[in-house]
Amino acid sequence: MASRVVISRASRIKTKLETALQAAVLEVEDVSHQHAGHAAVRHMEGGAQETHFNVRIVSAKFQDQNLVKRHRMVYDLLSDELQSGLHALSITAKTPKEAGLDS
Amino acid sequence: MARSLANIFYKGIFAVPAASSTGILRFSTSVPSDPDTHEDFRPTTKVETSEISLKDIVEQDIKENPVMLYMKGVPEAPRCGFSALAVRVLREYNVPIASRNILEDLEIKNAVKSFSHWPTFPQVFINGDFVGGSDIILSMHETGELKEKLKADAEKQQ
Repeated sequence: MASRVVISRASRIKTKLETALQAAVLEVEDVSHQHAGHAAVRHMEGGAQETHFNVRIVSAKFQDQNLVKRHRMVYDLLSDELQSGLHALSITAKTPKEAGLDS
Repeated sequence: MARSLANIFYKGIFAVPAASSTGILRFSTSVPSDPDTHEDFRPTTKVETSEISLKDIVEQDIKENPVMLYMKGVPEAPRCGFSALAVRVLREYNVPIASRNILEDLEIKNAVKSFSHWPTFPQVFINGDFVGGSDIILSMHETGELKEKLKADAEKQQ
């Protein structure tokens, strides 16, 4: 479902990650509706909106970084969002080689 | 200035220097800056502990428990799908799982976040090492890394 927010959180996330990670693949999927009954968002105004996202990133910048470091890179880039209502991210972070995109 | 106060609070939990003018905010439990806190989950009793001892609690948790899980809810009744996933994966290995429900203790929640430099829950520690959240646990489960890590730790302890 397309969001009616002028600049959605999904597109902000996309821009922030795209710029910093020069991602070869970047998919941001809003799955907030799957968490509508979630304890922490149940009572939010308007229900669960733009709180949960699946993010799939392929970036050469993940080279030689373990999973914890890769996820931290993403969390650090999105710290503003995490402080303003972004609740959880499901992150898949691969290098081009791991994703089979090696050139 | 007001705009940055929440920020100072958020980042300043363990940053004592330069906090003299803002220190008054450090123990506020109204916590408007915490995005995934609803008033339902504010602690009913305020724990009057210092920052140092909160960090000590976390350090003790992960030292004493080979598998330590900070989660939303309890293993028998997780309050979040990601926490449920972490429990489900760890239970595949038949290891004792120690856990804390961070929804019940906001100060521990913040202490864990600062300790691991990780903004979300669940968080899994194995033999004192921060391992990650549910995505990483699941990924390590699939690649066999988790089995190796738990096995290596079990051997170390014997």
